[in-house]
Amino acid sequence: MSAEKKYGRDVVIETIARLMIPFIQLYGLYVMMGTEGAGGGFQGGTVIAASFVLYVTAFGITRGRKNFPESWNVAFKCLGLYLYAGIGLLCIIFSLGVAEYLNYAAVPLSNIIGHADTRALMIADVVEIGIGMTVMAAFVSLFFDLAWKEESVEEEEGGAEE
Amino acid sequence: MKLLPIVALISVILLGSLFVYVVEDVPAFGDPYSPPNRYINLSIGIDAEGLESSLDAGVLPAELRTKIEEIGYTKENAFPSLEEGKYEIERKEGEGEEGWDVLIMKEELYYPGLEKFYFIKEDGEKLWVYRYSIPVRWQEKCEEEMTTPNMVTAGLADYRGYDTLGETAVIYTAAVSVILLLRRRGKL
Repeated sequence: MSAEKKYGRDVVIETIARLMIPFIQLYGLYVMMGTEGAGGGFQGGTVIAASFVLYVTAFGITRGRKNFPESWNVAFKCLGLYLYAGIGLLCIIFSLGVAEYLNYAAVPLSNIIGHADTRALMIADVVEIGIGMTVMAAFVSLFFDLAWKEESVEEEEGGAEE
Repeated sequence: MKLLPIVALISVILLGSLFVYVVEDVPAFGDPYSPPNRYINLSIGIDAEGLESSLDAGVLPAELRTKIEEIGYTKENAFPSLEEGKYEIERKEGEGEEGWDVLIMKEELYYPGLEKFYFIKEDGEKLWVYRYSIPVRWQEKCEEEMTTPNMVTAGLADYRGYDTLGETAVIYTAAVSVILLLRRRGKL
């Protein structure tokens, strides 16, 4: 019961968070994919991770864990790295014996839309998304690990005092 | 008792003078003609008499070629060879940089083509040999090669793709090790 009081619901914080989180995530996606402006995969991933941190701050860690479970976390973390390295592997396979690892122009898409556009597409839509996914999942995972630990310590201390 | 402040003062003065000494050599920010931004002097100076006509005709004089190869810019050291027919020379006019560009044929798989390598600067009666630095190629070619207007993203994900892959792997490894170290509960 004491824990519920401690992390009681606050209408102001919840409403503001509910308003802000979609825009933060959209901005994170823009930073991650928009190669015209400043930013990149690392920064965009961190911005999206910040939106999850805001969610947990407003709605409590149990609900946050339920909406972003560990299984998804692990899947995103691995998928991002696999996407990036997989593009490199694809380039090796399609360049047939030249072994052009991570040379995106080797993908056969470049026969249709040209070398330069293929590289732009791969950079903006595959590589940066992969980096962003890994960074986002890694930071959310770090945050949840630290937050869980603190909560359990507080619970133990509270029990001892009572 | 008084030793500590005196030592601190001396070290502050030493560090300050070192800072001033280092900062004096740093070029003004954004100056496109400063050596680190534009090109590197190879310290090869040679008298210009008679060589200009040869350069204008598109032939690198033998004296210049031997001087360049003497400092180790040879084919054995993986620098482009300066045999006849493997380079082109273009006259360059501009404020503070009159001279000739030596363009080298690059035999890359997806982007073969001419690339600026040496710059022979005309300075009074002497010719000085410079080498173009990599950021010049980066600035001039990245939008053409990747249709990405952001130079930093293009470099991060393409020219330095291996580095970024490694960085992502480092973040992944850090997250996994934090899971192993901090997670005390059996569930999740």
